Amino acid sequence: MSEVLLEVKNLHKRFPIRGGILGREVAAVNAVNNVSFKINRGETLGLVGESGCGKTTLGRSILRLIEPTSGQVIFNGKDITAMNSDEMRVMRRKMQIIFQDPYASLNPRMTIGGILSEPLDIHKLFRGKEERRKRLYELLDQVQLPKDTLNKYPHEFSGGQRQRICIARALAVQPEFIVCDEPVSALDVSVQAQVVNLLMDLQKDLGLTYLFIAHDLKVVEYISTKVAVMYLGNVVETAAAAELYGNSKHPYTKALFSAIPIPDPARKSERILLEGDIPSPMNPPSGCHFHPRCWKCTEECKVEYPGITSLSGTHDFKCYNPIEKGQ
Amino acid sequence: MSEEKLLEIRNLQVQFNTDRGPITAVKGVDLDVYKGKTLGIVGESGSGKSVTALSIMRLIPDPPGKIINGYIKFKGKNLLDMSLGDMRTIRGNKIAMIFQEPMTSLNPVFTVGNQIIEVLDLHQSHLSKEEKKNKAINMLDLVGIPAPEKRIKEYPHQLSGGMRQRVMIAMALACEPDILIADEPTTALDVTIQAQILELMNKLKEKLGMGIIFITHDLGVVAEMCDDVAVMYCGRIVEASDVSTVFKHPFHPYTKGLMESIPSFDSTEDETKARLKTIEGMVPSLFDLPKGCSFQDRCPEAIDECRGKKGPPLLEEQAPGHQAACFNPLK
Repeated sequence: MSEVLLEVKNLHKRFPIRGGILGREVAAVNAVNNVSFKINRGETLGLVGESGCGKTTLGRSILRLIEPTSGQVIFNGKDITAMNSDEMRVMRRKMQIIFQDPYASLNPRMTIGGILSEPLDIHKLFRGKEERRKRLYELLDQVQLPKDTLNKYPHEFSGGQRQRICIARALAVQPEFIVCDEPVSALDVSVQAQVVNLLMDLQKDLGLTYLFIAHDLKVVEYISTKVAVMYLGNVVETAAAAELYGNSKHPYTKALFSAIPIPDPARKSERILLEGDIPSPMNPPSGCHFHPRCWKCTEECKVEYPGITSLSGTHDFKCYNPIEKGQ
Repeated sequence: MSEEKLLEIRNLQVQFNTDRGPITAVKGVDLDVYKGKTLGIVGESGSGKSVTALSIMRLIPDPPGKIINGYIKFKGKNLLDMSLGDMRTIRGNKIAMIFQEPMTSLNPVFTVGNQIIEVLDLHQSHLSKEEKKNKAINMLDLVGIPAPEKRIKEYPHQLSGGMRQRVMIAMALACEPDILIADEPTTALDVTIQAQILELMNKLKEKLGMGIIFITHDLGVVAEMCDDVAVMYCGRIVEASDVSTVFKHPFHPYTKGLMESIPSFDSTEDETKARLKTIEGMVPSLFDLPKGCSFQDRCPEAIDECRGKKGPPLLEEQAPGHQAACFNPLK
């Protein structure tokens, strides 16, 4: 059994909405609702869901970039939600993040050398001049960029190259765990494949653990060991990647898969068309949040949120009327 | 075939003047659009697909842009020779367009109903106020918006992304155009909403019998939506045919590369996942394109001829009804 690197226990994030002249709380958004999962060292957990489902909030709460309302994040056996800011700073060396938009996440006034040095300065690593230079070259080599990159500015690079720079910055402090928040969504298809390959190579070489957040199921399925599907703040299904595709239990997962256009004109997939839009997270439907769009909905679904059903301990879902295999 | 040709584009060339000198964003594009058919234009960013679409609408900002060569014939008449006044009777009326980002294309200070009625004011001014309002309601109903009588009084910010795109489609179709140009209409939407919009567009195409130009970077969407496809790279069409032919047997290495760089669900059945095939390098800058074929530096099949003085390869028939611009096409 491989070792658990990160465990999230009943994580909850609630954003209050204030209104009126007194600034009283008038409503709240439960962006992340009682989410629990484990990620083993060296593995990738994929997190998929549509916009507004809370996947980014979840990623950031794990790093405490957004302070979670309640719940625990246990990294390497230590509960990081209980740490003070000094302890947390030390911890962040082990946990890094790559953002979606490589145009917005690099400071346009800093050279690439400056950008890559900053995390090393903060954590006081590789301080000798020669040592520092060697480390920077090593990083560029890892993300397959030429050495003369160091003196250039972000605007001189294309989207794919910028994303490589962001990856190098995350790798600079030798992290064990990286949250990849939609790292390839802003890239062209041919470049997307290059970055996905790079992330997988780095994982193998450096033994990294990823939380890979994306809305593109094809990419997530490809890169992940396990996949969690989120809908309106709740994880509705978790399973190994191939199992999730071949044996989806939750109707939402099934609908997500069937909504993906398949690049094969001969194959006319039977599409499950979901009715309506994603409801507002401010005012989610009663019971199972998915029930107004679900074709398998029964009375039960409207009343109470279904609990976790577990198949052979590795495939979890929350649904009263799961899909039978082959259905 | 006895299909009715709505639009014929030949040798379209569009140039932009920039601080670093002129660049040609579209370098001789030929396209045909037929009634009741969907033509897909696929390409990565900077391939010239949106510029081609904007040229048809004569919406290229001039300066800095200019159509320097070619013609665009709509039902036999060259749109490029038309006066701006004549063009206005076509734009939005006979040829309509929907854009990628529905929020920025709708005016936030007018109600949805107002914005649909504006189209009718311009092109169907003979209708009475009441008729226009009813038509706006009918259009919203047509694109599947529930309670259209209520919705026409709402503002864009009150609608979700999918609903806004439906409103955009309703506006575009208000005058029953012959051609609908859709520039990445679903790229900003979630997959389940994308599926709804694609389904809607297919239904409306059958019902109204218009020709659609569908611009996208997603080959999956092309496979599901289009009858014909043109693959663009660096301002040129590199491959064109009907969809099933291109997918079954691509001639151009770029087309093949694009198809292979998408992860498929089938390949993940076995334990060890194969690496994704990629296209090496990146799209070259339009300022310094290599001599010969623009794709040569990324092409696994490149031969001397591709780098030679012969200039870029021309779009030639490689098999009946299947064209590709390549010196060394795949067998």
